[in-house]
Amino acid sequence: MSRESTPSNLLRSSVDGYGFNKGENFDHESYDEFMSRYISVLARRASRWQALIGHKTRVSKSRKVKRYCRKGIPSEYRAMIWMSITGAEARIRANPNTYRNILLSQRDEHLSEPITMDLHRTFPDNIYFTGTEGFRKPLNNVLVALAHKNIERGYCQGMNFVAGMLLIVLKDEEKAFWLMDTLINGILPDFYAPDMRSVKAEQELLGEIIRWKAPELHAHLESIGVQWFLIGTKWFLCLFADVMPVETVLRIWDCLFYEGPKILLRVAATLILQNSSKLQACKNFSQAMDAFKEVTTSASCIDCHEFMKKCFDELGPFPSAKISKMREECLKKIY
Amino acid sequence: MAGRQGAQRPNGATQGKICQFKLVLLGESAVGKSSLVLRFVKGQFHEYQESTIGAAFLTQTVCLDDTTVKFEIWDTAGQERYHSLAPMYYRGAQAAIVVFDITNQDTFARAKGWVKELQRQASPNIVIALAGNKADLAQKRMVEYEEAQAYAEENSLLFIETSAKTAMNVNEIFLAIAKKLPKNEGGGPTQSRQSGVKLNNEQTQQSEGGCCK
Ligand SMILES: Nc1nc2c(ncn2[C@@H]2O[C@H](COP(=O)(O)OP(=O)(O)OP(=O)(O)O)[C@@H](O)[C@H]2O)c(=O)[nH]1
Ligand SMILES: [Mg+2]
Repeated sequence: MSRESTPSNLLRSSVDGYGFNKGENFDHESYDEFMSRYISVLARRASRWQALIGHKTRVSKSRKVKRYCRKGIPSEYRAMIWMSITGAEARIRANPNTYRNILLSQRDEHLSEPITMDLHRTFPDNIYFTGTEGFRKPLNNVLVALAHKNIERGYCQGMNFVAGMLLIVLKDEEKAFWLMDTLINGILPDFYAPDMRSVKAEQELLGEIIRWKAPELHAHLESIGVQWFLIGTKWFLCLFADVMPVETVLRIWDCLFYEGPKILLRVAATLILQNSSKLQACKNFSQAMDAFKEVTTSASCIDCHEFMKKCFDELGPFPSAKISKMREECLKKIY
Repeated sequence: MAGRQGAQRPNGATQGKICQFKLVLLGESAVGKSSLVLRFVKGQFHEYQESTIGAAFLTQTVCLDDTTVKFEIWDTAGQERYHSLAPMYYRGAQAAIVVFDITNQDTFARAKGWVKELQRQASPNIVIALAGNKADLAQKRMVEYEEAQAYAEENSLLFIETSAKTAMNVNEIFLAIAKKLPKNEGGGPTQSRQSGVKLNNEQTQQSEGGCCK
């Protein structure tokens, strides 16, 4: 980790392409090494997507598009593809005034106060979220509108990071609002419900998946006092935003928006299984907790392309029907 | 890095006992729980501290005479709806810091709620400290020192006003807790942590230095 001013060090920007300050712990070595390889992948993917899309402004779902999403959506198409494959784009067209009207209507203090408190606590290391310019106000609008549209659910901390990330990619608050609304009401389990039942169940489900795929590791972790709800709350509530490297989060979301929430379990299970020897070596609870912190930031998470491949290729069978059934079982166990 | 005396790594400096305790921080969102922990563990303060989602786990060690006290700290999320997760974190905890913000009466009311809940549902011997945080903002004070002090006395809580920003009393509150925790009982502190642990695991727990030896 030498920090001399070699030419490559001088060229390194302190901010990444999405406005995040890289910070003192940023693994420049791994990142540069990965980027030098990933650039050609991106170029290849971009030309494929271009051939597929041409001048169209929306795409419909197809096996090919699904495969393409798994391999990553180039950043120039990402906003359009996300909006189209989720149906959020169609919902904007069908409800052209909804967003504006919600924001113009009477606000419930109770709903908007906790949002205000989180504005400066969302991505404080990102240049778009520092100061009063930038995305802080749009973030406020999106979260306030969501809370008022889904009164029962209100605002749940964690939504701030998801909405913030959507703003970074979509650069349009109305789009961010609709995509997030579609996500909450149509794609995800009810993670943001006030009783948090679904998000607790999802973590139990992750535990069951580990028990299924790696029974020894599962037994070891339980024997040193690891309980699954301690691991994944932020993983699931933030959909890995602010948890994993940005590029990787976006690749996960490329799949999430096309295929649904099973990808989150694939990612979570892969994170654990690719570190199974490290986790198996933990002798006590606090060692395990430290190891779990590292699983989301290790060099193997920076290489999003390899990582996503792993999520699909190395988990073995992961049938939706079975997962759904397991989820039902886990939900029943949470009061 | 001022005021970090007492918070040292256990570089074999002491040959005395090693005790390990589970400590949980509770309190309304944005009162400064994460900031207090960050100050205590890393000696840092961030004006824009990220909101905590779920909970964060950290450890820090303090030395008390011939005893090394290792805190396993759960910094929980303060938003009301996370309340239902809280028991999973305070279950088996030997100590709790209930935090409020001295510039906000509501957070003090909420702190009282937490104290009540801990008294009812946490381990009976749990050591509870009440922290009136953001003491550096004295000009905006809404909760009088005497009021909180009286409440703490009635409920046999430790009470200290702190500032994560200036580091005032941050190490002190952890040290005060460390002093109050039982360090000699055969029962050993960490036992209760994993209520679901099977008996045959007890041995490995013991040899881990989970309690005083
Ligand atoms: N002036 C002052 N500000 C503080 C102090 N402690 C924390 N803050 C600020 O208060 C805000 C909230 O602090 P956090 O530590 O994130 O609060 P929290 O209790 O962990 O909040 P949640 O994670 O949402 O439950 C941050 O902007 C901090 O910078 C303090 O002692 N003095
Ligand atoms: Mg916090």
